[in-house]
Amino acid sequence: MEKDFTRLNYYEMLDIKPNATALEIRVAYNSALQMYQPDSLVSYSFFSQKERKEILARLEKAYFTLINEKEREIYNGELVRAGVLKSTEISPAAKGLVSIFEFNRQKDTPGMPKIHSSELKEKFSQNQRIREIISRQEIKGADLKEIRNELGVTIETIHQQTKIRLDYLHWVEDDKTEKLPAAVFLKGFIKSYLKCLCIEPADEISARYMNSLEHKN
Amino acid sequence: MAHIWPIGGGKGGSGKSFLASSLGRLLAKAGKKTLLIDLDLGAANLHTMVDVPYPDKCFSDFVSRKINLLEDTVLATPFPHLFLISGAHDSLDIANLSYEKKIKTLKSIAKLKYEHIILDLGAGTAINTLDFFLASGNGIFVTTPEPTSIENVYRLMRAIYLRRIRHYFTTDEFKALEKKVKELLGDDYFNKPENIVAVVRKEFPEKFALIRKDFNSFHFKLILNQLRKQDSVELGSQICKIIKKHLGLHVDFAGNIAYDEHVHDAICQRVSFLDRYPHTRAANDLRELNRKMSNSFGEQLILNYL
Repeated sequence: MEKDFTRLNYYEMLDIKPNATALEIRVAYNSALQMYQPDSLVSYSFFSQKERKEILARLEKAYFTLINEKEREIYNGELVRAGVLKSTEISPAAKGLVSIFEFNRQKDTPGMPKIHSSELKEKFSQNQRIREIISRQEIKGADLKEIRNELGVTIETIHQQTKIRLDYLHWVEDDKTEKLPAAVFLKGFIKSYLKCLCIEPADEISARYMNSLEHKN
Repeated sequence: MAHIWPIGGGKGGSGKSFLASSLGRLLAKAGKKTLLIDLDLGAANLHTMVDVPYPDKCFSDFVSRKINLLEDTVLATPFPHLFLISGAHDSLDIANLSYEKKIKTLKSIAKLKYEHIILDLGAGTAINTLDFFLASGNGIFVTTPEPTSIENVYRLMRAIYLRRIRHYFTTDEFKALEKKVKELLGDDYFNKPENIVAVVRKEFPEKFALIRKDFNSFHFKLILNQLRKQDSVELGSQICKIIKKHLGLHVDFAGNIAYDEHVHDAICQRVSFLDRYPHTRAANDLRELNRKMSNSFGEQLILNYL
């Protein structure tokens, strides 16, 4: 229930946008030929010989018009006057940056404050409570949570920065020891957690955390 | 309301029954209550594909009124959740099903309580085949990448197209339309239903609006079966493009199924191909197809028969 093929404009005929580049036009013409050529399997028996000849002639005319810059300009002018196209559609698309690699990285969502390490360091050095916690021999998940809260960093931010699974982070902070991953992984997680909060010395504190965990078990 | 999947294809041997039985099995395996109906009247063999070699009742019993309700002709298969209405012992003249009986059949199908109903249709473009295909907007066309098969699938599509237009006219009106088409476009143009629509648009604008709405609601699908290594994988999508551009019919390309010698083996041994050779390319393609199709539904045209 669409427009008759004979009434399509050259762009519609070749399935391209009005601002297509010469290369795109050539590729489109090539794939159209693949479909409509007499020995093509795709359109076998679909058209009578006469129809096929007409279609091929039309396609050829479309191709030679669009590939020639001057003729294309004239043809575009006709389409604009007929109201089929808007002049803005014809102008080549603005060239912008093209992303070559699509990393599966979460974009920074607005409303989620970024961590500024200098700010954190300052807070860390001034906050009495944090220093008190760090100086303890035994460090638990609840302590880590308290430090995080003192610094005003959300758990989601940490998850985003460290790529540690959110449920692991929750389990660590809530001291759900039975659910925690193996010690090798856990130690690494704690280290990056602390580094993310700019707490020094991360190595030593995480070792103390692991020790307290062992004690408990 | 069941989802009805008619499977047709024009040419024989393109894999309609194989596809019907495979899709049926996959749906049943997913826990969906599925019914296969063998409507390849006069050349039925779906029962052989689903391992019911000696069915004790069949579709013909319903037509001849030996069994009153279509539900009662349903047979259980060895597979859980999969049921069958067989055509195995159909009377020899079943292919010429009369109009009243066809309508009665369609009405009964519409009332069946299953999650999915798959209609395995015969080759060719007999009116009965066309009407069964049009029981749903979910019809599936099957073709192989050979000129003979493609020729027949195009024929079937055009026949279905014309048949659907025909549904909107009474006999007299349609005769008048035929005359108009002949006057305007000459004799041989009747074979191109896309040209008839142009006449309908001019002469019967209100009917054209209805037909257009109807055609836009279709979600027909195309499956390219028995694709060998040397065949072009683009073929299916190109066919759909041509149909859309020149026939104005939306047919989604559902996917390719690789050619596999093992299909022959499985049919000869009368075992399920998917169970016997689950790790072949073709089996993978079938599963992928089933996954893709289960979330794209067209309108259920069979509602018109209720």
